[in-house]
Amino acid sequence: MKGYRKYFLTKLAWFAITFVFAFVLNFTLPRLMPGDPVAAIVARQAQGISNPIGVQAIYQQYTELFGTNKPIIEQFFIYVKNVLGGDFGFSFSQYPRTVVDVIRASILWTVCLQFPAIIVGWLIGNTLGALAAYLKGGFDKVLMPISIFVSNFPAFGMAVILMVIFGVTLKWFPTSGGYGYDLIPSFDWKFIRSVIVHYQLPFWSIVLIAIGGQAIGMRAMSIYELNADYVKYSRFMGIKDSTIVRYVFRNAMLPQITGLALSIGTMVGGALVAEIVFSYPGLGTTLLTAVMGQDYPLISFATLIITIMVLSATFIIEILYGVIDPRIKAAQAE
Amino acid sequence: MRHTLRQIFRSGKFVVGFSIFMMILLIVIVYPLVVTHPPLEIIGQGTFFPPGIYVSTYDAINAPTTYMLNLTDAAAKRVANKLKNEDRLAMKEWMVAAGVPESEIDIADTESLLTLWKRHYDPNKRMEGMTFARLRYYQRVNAAIEGLLSTEAAIIAAKNRETGALEEVSAVKQTDYVNISEVANVRVLALGTDNFGRDVLTELVRATGVSLQIGFVAGLIATLIGLTLGLLAGYIGGLVDDVIMFFTNLFTVIPGFVLLILISFSIGQDKRGAFTIATVIGLTSWVWTTRAVRAQVMSLRNRDHVNLSKLSGHSIPYIILTDILPYIASYVVMALILQISSGILAEAGLSILGLGPRTTEVPTLGLMMNWAMIYQAPILGKWWAYLPVLVTIALITFSMNLMNTGLDQVFNPALRD
Amino acid sequence: MKSRLSAVLSLVVVAAMLLSACAAPTPQVIEKVVEKPVEKVVQQTVVVEKPVEKQVVVTVTPAPTKAPDATTLPRNETLYFNGFQWGPVVGWNPYSNSMNNAMAIAQGSNARVTMFETPYLYNMLDGKQYPLLADGDYKWNDARTEITFKLKKAARWSDGTPVTAEDVAYTWATHVKYNTGVGAGYKDYIETVQAVDPQTVVIKAKLNAQGKAVNPLVVADYVSSNYVLQKAWTQKLEQRNGNDATKLLADTAEDVVYSGPYHKFFTDDTKVVLIRNDNYWGKDPSMWGKLPAPKYLAHTIFKDNAAGSVALAQGEVDVSQQFNSNIQVLWENYGLPVSTYLPKPPYGIGASLPTAFYNLKAHGLDQVAVRKAIAIAVDYPAIIANAMTNQSATFEQVPRSLMNPTPAEQAMYDREAVKDLQWTGNDIEGAKKLLDEAGIKDTDGDGWREYQGKKLSYVATCPNGWSDWQAAIEIVAAAGKKIGIDITTNYPEWSVYQTVVTKSDAPLPVGYDIFMMWSAGTGPTMPWGRINNLLNSKWIGLSSNWIGNWGQYKNPRVDELLEAIPAETDPAKLKAMYTELVKIYLTDVPSFTLMYRPELFHAVNESVWTGFPYQGDGTNPPVPPLNLINGWSIAGLYNLKLVKK
Repeated sequence: MKGYRKYFLTKLAWFAITFVFAFVLNFTLPRLMPGDPVAAIVARQAQGISNPIGVQAIYQQYTELFGTNKPIIEQFFIYVKNVLGGDFGFSFSQYPRTVVDVIRASILWTVCLQFPAIIVGWLIGNTLGALAAYLKGGFDKVLMPISIFVSNFPAFGMAVILMVIFGVTLKWFPTSGGYGYDLIPSFDWKFIRSVIVHYQLPFWSIVLIAIGGQAIGMRAMSIYELNADYVKYSRFMGIKDSTIVRYVFRNAMLPQITGLALSIGTMVGGALVAEIVFSYPGLGTTLLTAVMGQDYPLISFATLIITIMVLSATFIIEILYGVIDPRIKAAQAE
Repeated sequence: MRHTLRQIFRSGKFVVGFSIFMMILLIVIVYPLVVTHPPLEIIGQGTFFPPGIYVSTYDAINAPTTYMLNLTDAAAKRVANKLKNEDRLAMKEWMVAAGVPESEIDIADTESLLTLWKRHYDPNKRMEGMTFARLRYYQRVNAAIEGLLSTEAAIIAAKNRETGALEEVSAVKQTDYVNISEVANVRVLALGTDNFGRDVLTELVRATGVSLQIGFVAGLIATLIGLTLGLLAGYIGGLVDDVIMFFTNLFTVIPGFVLLILISFSIGQDKRGAFTIATVIGLTSWVWTTRAVRAQVMSLRNRDHVNLSKLSGHSIPYIILTDILPYIASYVVMALILQISSGILAEAGLSILGLGPRTTEVPTLGLMMNWAMIYQAPILGKWWAYLPVLVTIALITFSMNLMNTGLDQVFNPALRD
Repeated sequence: MKSRLSAVLSLVVVAAMLLSACAAPTPQVIEKVVEKPVEKVVQQTVVVEKPVEKQVVVTVTPAPTKAPDATTLPRNETLYFNGFQWGPVVGWNPYSNSMNNAMAIAQGSNARVTMFETPYLYNMLDGKQYPLLADGDYKWNDARTEITFKLKKAARWSDGTPVTAEDVAYTWATHVKYNTGVGAGYKDYIETVQAVDPQTVVIKAKLNAQGKAVNPLVVADYVSSNYVLQKAWTQKLEQRNGNDATKLLADTAEDVVYSGPYHKFFTDDTKVVLIRNDNYWGKDPSMWGKLPAPKYLAHTIFKDNAAGSVALAQGEVDVSQQFNSNIQVLWENYGLPVSTYLPKPPYGIGASLPTAFYNLKAHGLDQVAVRKAIAIAVDYPAIIANAMTNQSATFEQVPRSLMNPTPAEQAMYDREAVKDLQWTGNDIEGAKKLLDEAGIKDTDGDGWREYQGKKLSYVATCPNGWSDWQAAIEIVAAAGKKIGIDITTNYPEWSVYQTVVTKSDAPLPVGYDIFMMWSAGTGPTMPWGRINNLLNSKWIGLSSNWIGNWGQYKNPRVDELLEAIPAETDPAKLKAMYTELVKIYLTDVPSFTLMYRPELFHAVNESVWTGFPYQGDGTNPPVPPLNLINGWSIAGLYNLKLVKK
């Protein structure tokens, strides 16, 4: 177990360093964008003001408040100090709302839309892939290509097509919003049902796209495993087919799980389009408007959250791999 | 080599994918040779003209020969074109509400219906409970049926240059026809026009070409970076591996798409040419190729033939080039194909957010989609402005994935030996 | 193998934990959100402690009616909007400009009077100001240096106290004290706002050296553009923010006292809902005599126009203030009960003039011939048909001037006198001739013209993503190519664009040779205000110029006329002055109008409500098509009826 502790500690160290660098990048990258975000706020405040001194005064006020007049290094240390104290600052574009407030309102929608969608897409995709690998024949030749074709629609295209067919033409599902346009959130059956109904189109637009990639991956992995020596050997030993298949898919699944962890990182990007097409509240559009409005603190915080999510997911998986995968164990011994 | 090729072309999936892809490529190359209109030329004044054959009315009237055809159903068709059955029902509804006895109204008899309508209809009368939209609907119906049953010829008049007075030039009878091949100006707009009034089909073909190029450049860059880093990390290992994996992880935890948005925005629209976008996409999407190549190389590096090579004292570049690369070549090709298709998707994704290439130089599939969305084509039912674009994107990426799956089938057993 | 299985299992457990972690907080958040209206009720009942007798009865009644409604907005009691609110609401502080609260707060010529109210309401159709909080018309003194008006006796705040002249005076004092947008905008024109007695307000204009009002038009504009806010509440606000301007403007003011017919009911990331105050003072016969028809005003927050258009077509939006491309398709092809103010193009009343400005310091653009040549070569019909999908009057219908297409403004200049200066576009030959005559020719045979030996090449620009403007700029660039002037296009992001264009204390940089900006719409100061923005050289030198004349045009005669107009009251003289301005504008071409754009887009869906304003609807004074919540158009809310099914 000593080897494992070392493995664990090395991993932990690397993750810590990655996190620090990512944190610095999250801070720096948005601030490298051209343009002056304070000018935009001042523009809002100063609309109609005809004397230049007045505008200048307002401008001063806000640069001081946001600290954008200080050198970037100094801004960084102030930021670090505030973040350690749990203060992520004001959102520039939605001032005087705080960044935490803005993100808190949108993150739940994204997580609750994306997590289930990713997992369902992953499950369906893997089942399809495994079946294609195992059953071959018509299933592999017909159903797989269809699911691949469907998955190859660009995300917004899928969203638009679903909306036009099921929302506009058939009117089965609502076309926009996170819940009924005539409802006020409450914890009753009507509201929950409305949330579920509104959930369908964005959800499926993500799931349908996710299926293909997972299916291809799973199919390939399963074929690898099906042709592996241990399978041949087991068959030779006369072990039951169903038992072999269980082993095969369990092994094929492992790399797919890594994929699952990584897709959390692409979650925000993937949801963005569905959010826009269906006017669904969420992190993706918050991030996009933050970029457009050069809302540095908001961008930094949003990317930080993504970073933490991906980092912890990969960390957990790598650690588990260290425990379970003999190949990695072997590498530790090296 | 020939053997491998033959094997590849024996794979059904690959052949199907390859054929689709080649067909798209062929269209992209051949179509501009046949149709030479500039793809971004604004020809339509107005937005979203539906697909069809457009015949110049002016030239049709001035066609060298007019033919007279006495078709029995011509009048009925003419009426049906302007007065639909639901309009007749609505007219009846209005007149009944206005107090005309229902028994008097025969909606099948156009002539009596129109006479009755003319006698009773008052464009400004708003019935109890009638919405304003309905009031305007009746006004439109009323305008449409004006002169519906007239059998007289339409007079074509021209302005006298000197006096400015109108002078009759010719008369167009209802039985006059022209042969379409004798009309000087006929333009086929197989997919109509877009919001700018541009020919969608011509634009689509050009856009497909540009998007393929973007995908290719992006894919090439991503694969090259991914391959190099993956080879180094996987084969050399140790600190090099740690550092490379560190950067890979860094780019994983700040997802590529977020970076892509940030960078595209920072570059600014003025500098966002199609190839700048392609480069940016390439630079942000190498991560998974690196991981995959690294994994492949790691499984190779302790193979016997590699160890043998090491023992023979070959240099690291030599070993990588001769003992590792050939074994993962097929894998790299597949990764490249996937990168190309995801590059095309990334461009489309960026464009739909308004962060795509500069609008006016070249069309791309993403930009076409973006403008169709901005001008609300889906809700207006202008399918030709966005559906062909989507299907094209799907076909390209589908064909590539299919080729990939085909290749996978051919190459994988070799990899497992 | 077992360990692997357990690993997979534990992964599933982790995933499940993550899932449940995401599921668990939902009720919490929802609870929190629901609390808000409840809090509101508590506040109201607290208020009940010190009421006027009537108050008790009414404030208590909303509570039980609210209870069954708490989760659903009955469709037949709610009027839905789109196109106002983009992004979530920040707060309810009417002093601040950063509340992003479009349903409740928008001061200006056609002020939004749902929650807060102005003394007068401007009607863009007849150009008059109608009393709201005020009682009868305001009066100028003979020297035109001060305005006097009275407040309605019935006017009440939401806490039941009367709206007094003190409130009006204190509102102004607060604006000045904290240098809010309003304070800074008007303080060059208004000296003081005084309460003579609880009912009477006197606004004294700032005087110039001659002892005359600096600008009487702006003073008159103040009474219909700016809210009256309660003194007592303002003092509370000041106190809790320690009289600090930044803090005061950042206060979200959830407890704000208002006088309007609606107030906050609910907001989150997807919508904002206002609820009617059934105790609204305006049901007094001295004002409306009844309550507005919808009990709720709701606005779903859409991500873009496309999503908003879908909702309009689906009947989930009743009143649409957004650019719905090809809106006629909705009724012509789909037979939906959607309509606009006018039945045919341009479908609405044009109010502002989106304008292409020339950088007058750029090489060649200092020449009138070049400016005019480009302007007359542009294909305006294409801009109007393609970029605006015909939702703009054409320049054949409304010849270009500095006036918007409203009849009131069109009557203010002599159309015939400037007839020879007009152009309707597409005049390639005329443009070429103009350039040839000015000696600006292609001398080196490369297909492009040169001026003083240097090729004429320009960049035309507007913000990225402003689709109709981008389409228009494309067409401008195409015109240049046709007459031998190389114009390329460029679309910077808005955040960059705004900082460059509004920096008028230095010449514009390369890349901003021809650029698009807006012009003012309708209001009591128009058309003077619009022309003053477009042409006054006063704005040159501002480091942050959000007013106009971004091309930095300077003409002493124009400045002189603009100085004289506000003080002039003789219509004939005014007409002559305006005509002269138009003449100069069309001769000098420092900028040119590309299209007409309505003050606000206005389309309605009559699935649930009917009785919306349309041209010739017989209302007197006419209700303008401003979405029933801006300026006088709020009168339309009292005319709404439910559609009979």
